[in-house]
Amino acid sequence: MKLQHYIGGIEGLEPSSFEKKVFVQPWEERIFGIHVAMMGLSNHLEAVKSVPTKFSSFWTWGHLRQGAEGMNPFDYFKYRYYEKWLGGISGFFVESGYVTEEELSTKTEAYLANLNTPFPSGGEPTIDEQIMEYLRIGDSPACDVEAQPKFKVGDTVTVRNPPPVDHCKLPGYLRTKQGVVDEVYEGTYNYYFPTGDGVGDPMPIYNVVFNSHDIWESITEPNTKIYVQIFEGYLEDPE
Amino acid sequence: MTENVDREIYSAARVRALESLLIEKGIITGETVDKVIEFFEKDMGPFNGARIVARAWVDPDFKERLLADTPSAIAEMSFPRGMAGAEGENMAAVANTPDVHNLIVCTMCSCYPWPVLGLPPYWFKDPTFRARAIREPRKVLKEFGLDVSESVEVKVWDTSAQIRWFVLPERPEGTEGWTEEQLATIITPESMQGAARVVVPA
Repeated sequence: MKLQHYIGGIEGLEPSSFEKKVFVQPWEERIFGIHVAMMGLSNHLEAVKSVPTKFSSFWTWGHLRQGAEGMNPFDYFKYRYYEKWLGGISGFFVESGYVTEEELSTKTEAYLANLNTPFPSGGEPTIDEQIMEYLRIGDSPACDVEAQPKFKVGDTVTVRNPPPVDHCKLPGYLRTKQGVVDEVYEGTYNYYFPTGDGVGDPMPIYNVVFNSHDIWESITEPNTKIYVQIFEGYLEDPE
Repeated sequence: MTENVDREIYSAARVRALESLLIEKGIITGETVDKVIEFFEKDMGPFNGARIVARAWVDPDFKERLLADTPSAIAEMSFPRGMAGAEGENMAAVANTPDVHNLIVCTMCSCYPWPVLGLPPYWFKDPTFRARAIREPRKVLKEFGLDVSESVEVKVWDTSAQIRWFVLPERPEGTEGWTEEQLATIITPESMQGAARVVVPA
């Protein structure tokens, strides 16, 4: 198992922080902006083909999360949210050959000597136009492909228990549990890439409701329901 | 303490180094990151969600449409272009009532309805919140200052596929006769994720 897939339900934790800031350090907004730019310039977007960026990779939320799910699980909890982004994204640019570790280290040393050194200026304006257009249009997983949903509202379903993969869309605590279909979403939905455990191709998605006690037994609270949207590939008929 | 400071300064230098190199190599421009940040400061943020909730509070027909077909109801209002854009492609609202309290969590990551709420606050991204909210929501909410009795049903929504949820909180007493604009000023991002109630400032 991968601990990152099983975060929901972990016991023995401290009270959670009610920190309302989006960025707790000023530098964090820079890595957020870089990630959005990469998503807006990803090579799977049709509009990007005519944009003069030197970025030529496929980059989505799925890729960012695959990196986070691939970390040593104990390290995953050592680093703050955007620290993981910085590690994953800078690692991607080095591994993909866009920058070398040496360039990055040298430049980091220069900024350590003077953090206020201005950024280089310039660049093709159409790069930014595409990124802003991506933000306004999005990248919907809804597909034109039709499919007959296997389940209907009110059906009891069992959540499958496929072996762990690099990136998973199924919360671990649901595996093998039974729930009831509360809504069948119209149409079909793909994922950015096949996850290898049954998700990727266009398929129906269901909103499935679980009684909290059916999942956690005595270690939950009364009168509590859990609603989760689940790809059809993760569901099967009860035995 | 010194170690913490060093860790932040190092990250600050490293991210600036990365951004500089990406600009020099023609991947992004010198303005890209600032433009992205500005988009979430000016166009897409919790101020949009607050206007939607305020409208639903004063217009019961709008509220009904919002709950039945969230994107269409939002499209009736005048917002900057992009309310169905990134992380808003499939949004849905759920309503708190005297009998039901909704709480949104993303146990595996941090999915959040950007066009109506902007970017997720740290509490929402915190693995501790993600681990606990799904199993002991009332206990977590109590720590956040919100008491939800066991006679009220709690619905926890774990965002794990296409839908980005937000909560239509209950309108607080003492706001009778307020305009939509006045109401919008007291609606917080936390209340639109079910982590707080809307309160009238003393």
